[in-house]
Amino acid sequence: MGLINEDEALIAAALKGSAYAWEKLVKRYESRIFNYGVRITGNTSDAMDLTQEVFLGIYRNLHRFRGDAKFSSWIFRIAHNKAVDINRRKRLTTTLAHTNNDEPDFLETIADDNRYEPDKKLVDQQANSRVISMLARLSLEQRLVIELKVYQSLTFEEIADMQGVSANTAKTRFYTALKKLKAVSEENNVLS
Amino acid sequence: MSCPKTQHLLQEYFSDGLTPLAKKEIENHLNSCEQCNDEFEFFLLAHSNMKGWKDQSVPHWDRGLELFKREHRSEKESMGFWGRWQLVPTAISFVMLCVLLLNVSVISGERGFFVSFGANSSNLQLQYQLAEIQEQYLVEMDTLVNQVGEWLDSNNVQVLQVVMERTREATMENLDLIYTYFEQQRLRDLEDMRISYQELVDSDYETIRSLQQLARFVSYQDDAVR
Repeated sequence: MGLINEDEALIAAALKGSAYAWEKLVKRYESRIFNYGVRITGNTSDAMDLTQEVFLGIYRNLHRFRGDAKFSSWIFRIAHNKAVDINRRKRLTTTLAHTNNDEPDFLETIADDNRYEPDKKLVDQQANSRVISMLARLSLEQRLVIELKVYQSLTFEEIADMQGVSANTAKTRFYTALKKLKAVSEENNVLS
Repeated sequence: MSCPKTQHLLQEYFSDGLTPLAKKEIENHLNSCEQCNDEFEFFLLAHSNMKGWKDQSVPHWDRGLELFKREHRSEKESMGFWGRWQLVPTAISFVMLCVLLLNVSVISGERGFFVSFGANSSNLQLQYQLAEIQEQYLVEMDTLVNQVGEWLDSNNVQVLQVVMERTREATMENLDLIYTYFEQQRLRDLEDMRISYQELVDSDYETIRSLQQLARFVSYQDDAVR
């Protein structure tokens, strides 16, 4: 049985009330969603919140999934919307917190998260920290377009559809994001 | 100096469904344009760095199973034939609670039903109820005693019949045994008598022979003397 058919079988069983099918369905996608969350939010705590919200959204809307698109695409559409919501909420919280001067900034949050994972291999940690540091300098839209293009391998048409923009705009966002990464890199090289 | 083609070329390079011809053209331009080539090299490096991401393990969580089980359990319970009867125990409990709280007493008798609320039910009603209960109790006791007596009688007759039957069988067996014993004894006695008579006859015969021999001897002696 192919992965897509297996997804459909699991969805059908979960809709009939099979907790086992639901758990298996979650296990298939939780890692992808969680890592998506870490890259987008920059920390594991928000990523976990995002993961839980995404699967809650999937659970609430599972009966609406018609199988017209791939289940993975449907999930990432939900994840995309949740990421935008979380970012909006966080921006609001951060704005309020900044008035009290007690909220750590984005990169400090990443450092804190790494501190809580002492057993993770140093190399992996450095690679992930580098990625998160790079993505942290981008706007949410740019981060999302990089995420969807590089990690989820979506086409620009799919990204455009998900973000509600034209394919050309998605391409421009991707290019602008890469340009910004280059600028940041050059800036770091000058400073170092 | 910046190249006006850079953005367009790089956007197209990372686009989907790039034809081999278009790819070749872009590569030709990259070879001839240093600015585009630098940008392209950086983009590849950034892409490669981002692809170096190592998936982090997901912290433990319940995967929404509690919610899933809770909602599906309640959904199942509210459906079906038996699901509709689930409120019956609650309704019965509610009625009993009302009866207790309102101290409702319902008395049924030959004159009909009496329903009273509150703790002040009249003594007459209580006495009437008590007398009815006692009367009912006595009738039930009499019936019970009669039933027990009948049961004991029938039981005794059955026991006696069984005992007599068993005694009769045992007596017949004993009589048979005694008869057999006497018969055997009689036959043994007859045999003994026959043997005794035979011995007696043999003995008499021997005596006669002896006497005959003695007589012959005496006769011979007399002849010799003469």
